[in-house]
Amino acid sequence: MKTSSTLRLVVMRELRERGRSAAYIASTIITTVLILLAILLPTLLSGSTDYSIGMVGTGNQEIVDLAIDIENTDAEPDQETQFSVTTLESVEAAEEALSSEEIDAALVNGSEILLRSASGASGDDLSGLLQYAASTLEIDRLVATAGSDADVVDILAGEPLGLRTLEGVASEENQARTVIAYGGLMLMYIAVLSYGAWTLTGVTEEKSNRVVEVLLATVKPWQLLAGKVIGIGALGLAQFVFTAVAALVTLRVAGTFDLPAFPTDSLVMLILWFLLGFAMYSLLFGAAGSLVSRMEDAQSASTPLTLVALVGFFMSFLVLDDPDGVLAIVMTYVPLTAPFVVPVRFALESISMVALIGSVVVAIGFIIGTTFLAGRVYAGGLLQFGSKLKWREALQSSDL
Amino acid sequence: MLQMQDLTKSYGDVVALDGCTFAVGPGQMLGFLGPNGSGKTTTMRAVFGLIRLDRGAVTLNGNPISPNDRLAFGYMPEQRGLYPKMKAGDQLAYLGALHGMEQAEARRAGLQLLDELGLADRAEDPVEELSFGNQQRVQLAAALVHDPSVLVLDEPFNGLDPIGAETMANVLRQRAQNGATVIFSSHQLDMVEDLCEEVAVINAGRIVMEGNVRDLKAASPHRVIEFESSNGYAAVLDQLDGVITTSFDGHRHTVIVPAELDVRQVLNRADSDSGIQHISYSTPSLSQLFKEAVA
Repeated sequence: MKTSSTLRLVVMRELRERGRSAAYIASTIITTVLILLAILLPTLLSGSTDYSIGMVGTGNQEIVDLAIDIENTDAEPDQETQFSVTTLESVEAAEEALSSEEIDAALVNGSEILLRSASGASGDDLSGLLQYAASTLEIDRLVATAGSDADVVDILAGEPLGLRTLEGVASEENQARTVIAYGGLMLMYIAVLSYGAWTLTGVTEEKSNRVVEVLLATVKPWQLLAGKVIGIGALGLAQFVFTAVAALVTLRVAGTFDLPAFPTDSLVMLILWFLLGFAMYSLLFGAAGSLVSRMEDAQSASTPLTLVALVGFFMSFLVLDDPDGVLAIVMTYVPLTAPFVVPVRFALESISMVALIGSVVVAIGFIIGTTFLAGRVYAGGLLQFGSKLKWREALQSSDL
Repeated sequence: MLQMQDLTKSYGDVVALDGCTFAVGPGQMLGFLGPNGSGKTTTMRAVFGLIRLDRGAVTLNGNPISPNDRLAFGYMPEQRGLYPKMKAGDQLAYLGALHGMEQAEARRAGLQLLDELGLADRAEDPVEELSFGNQQRVQLAAALVHDPSVLVLDEPFNGLDPIGAETMANVLRQRAQNGATVIFSSHQLDMVEDLCEEVAVINAGRIVMEGNVRDLKAASPHRVIEFESSNGYAAVLDQLDGVITTSFDGHRHTVIVPAELDVRQVLNRADSDSGIQHISYSTPSLSQLFKEAVA
């Protein structure tokens, strides 16, 4: 029988059996709910945020007063957002106050908002609030001077105040990119670990209930491993996309972040690296799963991998702050950390096309090498039952 | 003809197979016997290419076995295994398809087998919800769904009740009659004696006895005399010329003598004391041959 049809059968079984299992459906729902909560909670709890605004020049007071009114319109007296407003002498002083985190935003001459960074952090809510206040004032002014309806629409659609961050002019797209960088990093980490865990337990399950010996009589180990990785990858991708779309819709509806048009290239990059990252980790998780005979041992077999992912994830936060630094560049070419780092750097537009292609090539090379290595460990581990095997033992005893 | 030729395999210092050689032909059912750890499972895994042999090969009609040949093989490993949450019918259809059948054909064959094994109404149940005996039946069905021409079963009778064992025996007998090559291992030697014309006995990785059961028994240098008597007189029997061993279980004396011994001599002497009933004189049982072969 042709290799391709065997592989297809293994993939299809994985899709059918796992895709309609209660566990898959439940995990999709739970993940979605958790992500939606993560998005909605800050909005629901935003009453407790306190803001600190700096004012430079003239024409600011009116906007700030209105912003404070708007923010606290419906709030109970004890839940009002506290604003501290300071007057600063110059734009330079404002920039200094921003970088030392004394203020969250500065308003310059009633026409420009100055933020620390377009990070999607609390300064963004504040700038949205200031924009809203400024639009309201302009509309009032228009109504007073009997301006046309078209002008009102313009004001509502646009943002009357200019926006600048310490890093330069912050476009709407920039903000969206940062949101994607953060969100994508989170999703990537969750996806790699949770779908990797599916591969891990799937392999251990087949070994622990011994069905693997029946299968290996006709199926080659690499077909079994690849079929599982592809099948789980497809289900994982479906869940990943479903969750991401649900998150985006909620973001728009809830207005936690002011999400403008979406840079699709960042999304494409996220999906590409999801596939690459998943393939790397899943193959290794699969090999780890073949080392143990009991489900209880599966977690310990995969601990080293989980730690690598954890380190990659936390180091990526350093990259978020310094996307052009040495650490960022090194991690771009380390296969197991690249999935966390490259999409972030891409979203922040700090990776060159050459580096991007280089990192993809390294990742694909790693996947090919891992398929071979993990396939051998898997083949060696599958038919040795009993206590947990070491990687080296499985590699050396590969009979298939 | 399925031929095991000089199969040799060591795991570190442990020798699992040490030049194991025997053959089975189409339509034959061979009982593969041996003490625990003698190399039965390793031999069966070698048939499916699940181990890499240090030396020797398994051949089919003189040719090395290809993955394509194996599609027509059926295997029931010693450690039973099916997907617990997968429905019995789906499971058989999947395994049939992996053996190269069309999906629809595999499903039909699986359902028909379940019907033959008395499980027609359980096809839609996950395997984990079936009783142990019924799981065994599904496992047998998994080995048979693609109508294999070579059938290898590792301890198929393990854990079956007498009715289950009877069903299993009938299915195997029928497959052999239809021309399949059947090898199965077992520790239930009486069952093997009933079921198989051919046996191979392995000990410490080598075949120590092989051939037609009747011929092997006839060729044995020993005969067994059994009789009942009211008195135990093992002591008397022990002193008779030519008697090899005697035993007495409270009712029945079992005396093992050389094949050439004149049996009347034994009976004459014993008879002098008291009445003897239910005398039998026979070739040794397979069980006795087995014990001698692996001693």
